[in-house]
Amino acid sequence: MKGAATLKLVLSYLKRYWFLIIISLLFALCSVGLTLYIPIRIGDVIDAIDQGLEIAPILIEICILAGAVALIQWVMSLINNKITYNVTRDIRNEAFDKLEKLPLGYVDSHSYGEIVSRMISDIDQFTDGLLMGFTQLFTGIVTIVATFVFMLSLNWVITIVVVVLTPLSLFIASFISKSTYSLFKKQAEAKATETAIIDETISNLKVVKAFSHEDEALEEFDKADLELKKASTKAIFFSSLVNPTTRFVNALIYAGVALVGALAVINALPESISVPFTVGMLSTFLSYANQFAKPFNEISSVVTELQNALACAGRVFEFLDEKNEVADKENALVLTDTNGNVSLKDVEFSYSSDKELIKDLNLEVKSGMRVAIVGPTGCGKTTLINLLMRFYDVNSGSISVDNTDIRDITRHSLRQSYGMVLQETWLQSGSVKDNIKMGKPDATDEEIISAAKACHAHSFIKRLPQGYDTYISDEGSPLSQGQKQLLCIARIMLALPPMLILDEATSSIDTRTELKIQEAFFKLMEGRTSFIVAHRLSTIKEADVILVMNKGKIIEMGTHDQLIKSKGFYSQLYNSQFIETPEE
Amino acid sequence: MTKLLKYMKGYRKECVLSPLFKMLEAFFELLVPFVVAYIIDTAIPAGKNGDTSHIVISCLIMAGLGAIGLTCTIFAQYFAAKAAVGFTSKIKHSLFEHITSLSYTEIDTLGTSTLITRMTSDANQVQTGVNLTLRLFMRSPVIVFGAMIMGFVVDKEAKAALVFVGAIPLLAIVVFGIMCATIPLYKKVQARLDGVLGSARENLTGIRVIRAFGLENDEQRKFKTKTEGLNKAQKFVGAISAVMNPLTYAIVNIAIVVLLYVGNTQVNTDPSTLTTGQLVALYNYMSQILIELIKLANLIITITKALASANRIEAVLEIKSSQEIMALEGSDPQYAVEFRNAYLRYASSPEYSLENIDFTVSKGETVGIIGGTGSGKTSLINMIGRFYDAEKGEVFVNGRNVKSYELDDLREKIGMTPQRAVLFKGTLRDNLQWGDKTASDEEIIKAIEIAQAKDVLDSKEGGLDFVVEQGGKNLSGGQRQRFTIARALVGKPEIIVLDDSSSALDYLTDLRLRTAIAGIDYKPTVFIVSQRTASIQNADKIIVLDDGKIVGIGVHKELLASCPVYAEIYASQFKKGGEE
Repeated sequence: MKGAATLKLVLSYLKRYWFLIIISLLFALCSVGLTLYIPIRIGDVIDAIDQGLEIAPILIEICILAGAVALIQWVMSLINNKITYNVTRDIRNEAFDKLEKLPLGYVDSHSYGEIVSRMISDIDQFTDGLLMGFTQLFTGIVTIVATFVFMLSLNWVITIVVVVLTPLSLFIASFISKSTYSLFKKQAEAKATETAIIDETISNLKVVKAFSHEDEALEEFDKADLELKKASTKAIFFSSLVNPTTRFVNALIYAGVALVGALAVINALPESISVPFTVGMLSTFLSYANQFAKPFNEISSVVTELQNALACAGRVFEFLDEKNEVADKENALVLTDTNGNVSLKDVEFSYSSDKELIKDLNLEVKSGMRVAIVGPTGCGKTTLINLLMRFYDVNSGSISVDNTDIRDITRHSLRQSYGMVLQETWLQSGSVKDNIKMGKPDATDEEIISAAKACHAHSFIKRLPQGYDTYISDEGSPLSQGQKQLLCIARIMLALPPMLILDEATSSIDTRTELKIQEAFFKLMEGRTSFIVAHRLSTIKEADVILVMNKGKIIEMGTHDQLIKSKGFYSQLYNSQFIETPEE
Repeated sequence: MTKLLKYMKGYRKECVLSPLFKMLEAFFELLVPFVVAYIIDTAIPAGKNGDTSHIVISCLIMAGLGAIGLTCTIFAQYFAAKAAVGFTSKIKHSLFEHITSLSYTEIDTLGTSTLITRMTSDANQVQTGVNLTLRLFMRSPVIVFGAMIMGFVVDKEAKAALVFVGAIPLLAIVVFGIMCATIPLYKKVQARLDGVLGSARENLTGIRVIRAFGLENDEQRKFKTKTEGLNKAQKFVGAISAVMNPLTYAIVNIAIVVLLYVGNTQVNTDPSTLTTGQLVALYNYMSQILIELIKLANLIITITKALASANRIEAVLEIKSSQEIMALEGSDPQYAVEFRNAYLRYASSPEYSLENIDFTVSKGETVGIIGGTGSGKTSLINMIGRFYDAEKGEVFVNGRNVKSYELDDLREKIGMTPQRAVLFKGTLRDNLQWGDKTASDEEIIKAIEIAQAKDVLDSKEGGLDFVVEQGGKNLSGGQRQRFTIARALVGKPEIIVLDDSSSALDYLTDLRLRTAIAGIDYKPTVFIVSQRTASIQNADKIIVLDDGKIVGIGVHKELLASCPVYAEIYASQFKKGGEE
């Protein structure tokens, strides 16, 4: 996304807060003006003291001004926080809504980490960087201009001293950071190498130990660390020179101001540039000289931050700009009480246009039929499921349920008509109970327990620390892969949807338990149209029809016995499982 | 933290010199307002009388002070960088060494991801902490208290300087108070942000299931509650921390007003105790204090984080491996492996994972171990190499209790192929020499042949010099698995353990592999763990595990008749269509 277009979108989000933004800018102006005005009044006080005049009124004025500055600054921060955090929240919610509406094709083709980082860190950096950066930039510029004007109003000669010397500090700072850039790059490379070794060794520590490979690993680590040590020392040292050198330049400016200022006070400057000057003004100038370089340094860092924020914003808007899943038709049918007649006509589908996958797929599934799908990896089994659930739309041809094209049915009701168990188990953070009743939120405890019993999950759930209330999450849960899969099966046993899709639903469960679950499954499948994908052929022998797929096409179709008799691809596949070792 | 300090050895000089130079720099900075006072009180009046040399010299001195300050800092930064990096490097070395010395039990308890964090981000945090501490910890206090002391030096009556005594604690209370109040709040904000992140992640990984159940709207609602909570928390802590700058600004300015008021009376009633120039110097000191206090407060945050990281590192270093080597009685040396009523319990578990395991294996025998998921197969073979200790009972290898072996000696006897086929970055040769660093190419290729990976080797460019990428990404699962088997064979171990190592191999390759292993000339003892009865049915001895207990030992035919669990497993895999 181009910078200008991004900026336009950013502004559209800020529109809602235009009033607050204007107030914030006004407050920033006031705050800067007063902050710079106070040193002038303090200079006046010093002059008054020098001349033995009354100072109390000015002091009271300073107190009031300081109080006002404090109040303005605080309210300004509150306003800025409100704008920043609210915009963050708004965009993030919108991004999440987008996530729920994106076509699965997008999610499947992007890494989760990438999408999450767009939703979390990119949005953070964008709002932080853009809004805070903008305020800082604005304040910085105002400060520079105002300081310049105030200085000019006091003494233009000394102003020139400050203005001429200040760029020196900027120049040095940017010179150092440029030359440290390559050092940091080197450090980053060395660090990456070391981290890779740490990661590899520690993640596979058990293997390292099984082979008593510890000493060699340490040697390798030390070698990498030596490189990192050299690179780090240099990078850290050189980068830490920025502050001291700018401080030094500031000291020079300070000395210059003191010199010219003192000479101005005693009228020792050449006639042509002589302007009346007092000790109080000198003190004001010294305090300006101390601060003048600060906004410059801030602005230069803000500019990089703004660039980065704009890049982040670009990524965020790109995500928000993605096409949604095609919306349900206006008069789409809500599927209730499905009979389970599914038919596929001339279905053609591929994930990318350059590689065709499913072609001329025709299939007629009658209510209550058990359809098993087998075939080698990549033959299109899972794709078929993606199409049935309408996670993806067919490129041409049609799929219909009970004689209605699924594109004329609401997605929600279509998907709820299927009970799906996938090979990749997924559990939601929450209790075991919450997870089981996902498809039937109003289920009673008895129903939940009987569903768990049906798939032999009850006994292990009982043994969990808090039984059915044990908190689990997809990552770092105390459950084994097989136990997770049992919970996913329990979900379906509870929801009892009219059709079933089982994609390697028992792949992580050992064969004995599987055999037991099978009975429950068979009971469940009774009268329900079911699609079963499995690589263990023993689990699908009982199907009414077995589809043998290869390269996106159905190459054989029939019952187990028919297919074995025909001695085709299926019978080969089936027999390869049972090559027994020759008896010795 | 204290125990980590010993790693500072060798950097003592740097640790002393760095803060010392920083102090010098601060000291020279403090002299500047002094010079300003001199200019106003002495040099300017002198200048009015026509002698401008005092002004010029004073300004040169100011520039000189800056230059000396810069020189001091350069030294200080150098020493700090050197010490911080060196110190951290030493810690990382020890930590790495220590982590690799931990036993499986500790690795399980701690988890590898925590250990990696200790080595990487925690170590970095410590490095930054040490670096900044050396650089700033002396500077800020010296400026703050130095300014106060200078105040007393300048103002002989000490009246105006007393303002410092009032202002410094007040500022400190505000700065540190607000920081202390907001740190835990920021942690809460972070936790909420993590919650939002977790929610987004969960919705991605579960996108199919969520859509299958039509839960999109529920999820949107839940997410909005989370972002709303985050928003509230952010605004709350933001409002508190936004108080700091305005409040300290007000305090400093009011302190300056008081200073000027008190100073005014002094200057105009008794100029011998305080001059205008000195009053300006005091005003300058006051402005400096605030900047340094804020720096100090930020430094303290960094130090707190570094200390927390240091403590986490120290905690890992303090973990002793739970395994000691002790002299214990032996058993019959004719057995390669003997389990005598052994019980195993994992650290986190209330129940035994293995109970009363009792069997013997003679040298050269092939043993099959079978059972369902979670029945204890891997646990059992892990006890042979003493990766876990028996809580009760004994395990013997060659008639010697495993607890009496040096671990290296014991593990050298065993060639393990773990379930997860892991290869490391490096050439194939590097990877395969793990079992025997001196193995020749011939020996390695022999092992590869037995592992049925010769065809893979031949297909890879460079043969044994083929470079395996991190995690073995450039090999398929089946290829990796065969190379890990070869790796276990290279050292010609007396005991070979194949832990479900043929799961990614097709039945035919699996069969060839087992035949080749059976044909190894030096007749090693072989353990084959499998879920497939086909893989083990020709073993000399099959051990059937169920729920951590041995439910059958014998050969295939005996077990089919006598062990119902075995018969069930067999039936579940071999029930052919016609037999129903």
